[in-house]
Amino acid sequence: MDEKFDAIIVGGGLAGLASAYTLAQNGLEVLLLERGDYSGAKNVTGGRLYVSPVRDLFPDLWKKAPLERFIAHEEVAMLAGERSLTLRYSGNELANEPYQSYSILRAKFDRWFAKQAERKGAAIITKTKVDDLIIENGKVTGVLAAGDELKADVVIACDGAMSLISERMGIRSPGLPKDHAVGFKEIIELDPNVIEDRFGLADGEGAARLFMGEVTKGKFGGGFLYTNKESISLGMVVSIKDLMEDQDVTAPELMDNFKLRPEVAKLIRGGQTAEYSAHVIPEGGYKALSKLFADGLLVAGDAAGLALNIGVTVRGMEYALASGYYAAQAVIAAKEANDFTASKLSLYEKLLNDSFVIKDFKNFKEAPQVLDNPRFFNHYPEFVGNMMKDIYEIPAGSKDRLYPTMKKYMKFGELWAMLGDLRKVMKI
Amino acid sequence: MGYVRGLKKGDENMSEPLGLKAKLGLNVFKEDKERHIEIKAGFEKDPRLIRAVYVCPAGLYSLNDNGEVEFTIDGCLECGTCRIACGPEVLEWKYPTGGSGVQFRFG
Amino acid sequence: MNIVVAMKQIPDLQQIRIRNRQPVFDDVPLTIGDIDKNALEAAVNLKEGTDANIIVLSAGNEDVEDTIKEALAAGADEAFLILDDDLEDAESSQIATILAAGLKKMDDVSLILFGEGSGDNYSGQVGSRVAELMDLPQVGYVSTIEVNGNVAKVTRSLEDVEEVIEVELPAVISVMAGINEPRIPSVTQILKAGKKPKEVLELDDIEIDLGAATIETNSNLAPESDRKKIVVKSVDELVEKLTAENLIGR
Repeated sequence: MDEKFDAIIVGGGLAGLASAYTLAQNGLEVLLLERGDYSGAKNVTGGRLYVSPVRDLFPDLWKKAPLERFIAHEEVAMLAGERSLTLRYSGNELANEPYQSYSILRAKFDRWFAKQAERKGAAIITKTKVDDLIIENGKVTGVLAAGDELKADVVIACDGAMSLISERMGIRSPGLPKDHAVGFKEIIELDPNVIEDRFGLADGEGAARLFMGEVTKGKFGGGFLYTNKESISLGMVVSIKDLMEDQDVTAPELMDNFKLRPEVAKLIRGGQTAEYSAHVIPEGGYKALSKLFADGLLVAGDAAGLALNIGVTVRGMEYALASGYYAAQAVIAAKEANDFTASKLSLYEKLLNDSFVIKDFKNFKEAPQVLDNPRFFNHYPEFVGNMMKDIYEIPAGSKDRLYPTMKKYMKFGELWAMLGDLRKVMKI
Repeated sequence: MGYVRGLKKGDENMSEPLGLKAKLGLNVFKEDKERHIEIKAGFEKDPRLIRAVYVCPAGLYSLNDNGEVEFTIDGCLECGTCRIACGPEVLEWKYPTGGSGVQFRFG
Repeated sequence: MNIVVAMKQIPDLQQIRIRNRQPVFDDVPLTIGDIDKNALEAAVNLKEGTDANIIVLSAGNEDVEDTIKEALAAGADEAFLILDDDLEDAESSQIATILAAGLKKMDDVSLILFGEGSGDNYSGQVGSRVAELMDLPQVGYVSTIEVNGNVAKVTRSLEDVEEVIEVELPAVISVMAGINEPRIPSVTQILKAGKKPKEVLELDDIEIDLGAATIETNSNLAPESDRKKIVVKSVDELVEKLTAENLIGR
């Protein structure tokens, strides 16, 4: 085909769709290639989108978006071997509009988002894998897909955490275990009334729950639960490095054990599993970000390493949406100047630096190192669990005074280690 | 690896356990013409391969009696974890052909 | 010369899941049946080296306009569509009436190709009914087609025999599953498909009376699979049990 596109986008996830939507909205000729049967067919999330940071980038999008439930209650549970301690947080800021975050199912959301991009004029071709880049004189000029040569001024690599496209361009090396986690989850179908009763939710409200401690056997990570309209997303995120080095439990076994924890089992009782999915999550933070641009090429979303684990949240989707948006802005500027060199496209990096995206990554640049501390995942949950047991327990005989009981836990060595951990945590 | 704690057999909260194969059977998989992941020739006994046995969420890698890692592609979730853990030196790893492989209905 | 290929929009069968023994159709992507794709591929092969024009003919709901792009990308030259949301659950006789009415609006049709049965219900009626309504000869179970002037020489593959038949055109031909490997369109072909001509009619435009539905579906349940739950401890025991069940060693 003689036709040349302004931009070809590799991958119809959130970054790619945000780019396609924004470029088409601004009248550019854009082609998006997606290898799944539809956008979202290959995409997995734990289950929660924080809308606040990206609301204004796509002002028309949210009113009709197929989001599941707005998150009105947060819980985090520290699980020791035989007991657990749970903190619950509710508040007006969670329960009132504009809602901060929503549970989400990607196969539904991405398919819908793709339709919106098509309505803006983007060409979206599914079931088509991009096999290679076309590189002429060091500049990306198009892609090879299923035997077809397709040309464009810019290619935007939104091909996910593995980003074989940026590897091919030589602007990123294969991902390392220390910078990645694996997430796996089940969709468990339950009647909406049961969900609402069980989690104490009013109409439209949703719950988010985190589980730390024994469930990962001391590995960096945790379990999560989100309520959708008619199902529950239940899963775990675990460091690949810890899983492969410890070699004491397999990922599927962790999931099975997680489901058997009484704290979890009673929440999913009577539910029917409808899907099992998994995905790699980049979580190396600021230091592990890939180079974001080259001549004729931009990289956005997970492909650039734009996901962040700060312990209580693992976020990627907002960064994907925003980076897709800013990549599109850079392409629009490049098109106006008819200059698609790396130096012109570097505007993308500048826009990201000035946005919440890179600011977040800089603010939390120490998080991966600080959280890579097994004490958070085995010692502290046991520690607070035992402490709670002693505080609440009424033994057959007389009960000890509370202060000496507590003092027993606060030995010098423990306090010293705690202080050390606290000093590190203060860097986050 | 009989690591199950916190719940005793017969507990009323225990729901019917769903085997991994049955769980993967719930997903939509479309057949591909070729396997998109291969263990590179000569690397069958590479110690890095054993990592895949632990990290693969679909349990597609297993250790046989000869100490070799065996691998089946059926049920691959295309998550990429084995590539990250073992590295591209050991695994020939690409995505399946467009329109094949797992197709998530929920995601 | 126009070759018409009748194609039916169906849900992607692999995407349908069963919940409480009922099929769940929510969000299931739409596609075209596999045997219909064999019919189109047969038409594309016939067209090669001739000046024939392939028209894909379909009747269904509004989504057909999008679904049919698959056929336009895979070699059809134009589309002739009769769309109405009431057609989503239309039965074979009604669809046949509509397709025949559509065909009567076309000129120079020499060959009308069908798949032997649709990918979803496989009632295998529409081709024969259209032939009857159009008063045309019909050949079913066809595996090969050759056209020489005004005559098509076709092979019918029956269970024990193969029949070679010559039929005068125009004629209706229903092809069997798997007679060819339908091509997978390239990106360029898919992009071009959107620009190919499409004639879209509504039910009112063809002025026919569909009549009342004559088929009532009483139940559409997945079969219950009661496992025997026999546990064996050795291969010998397995062989013994299977033999006892008359499943092996007959």
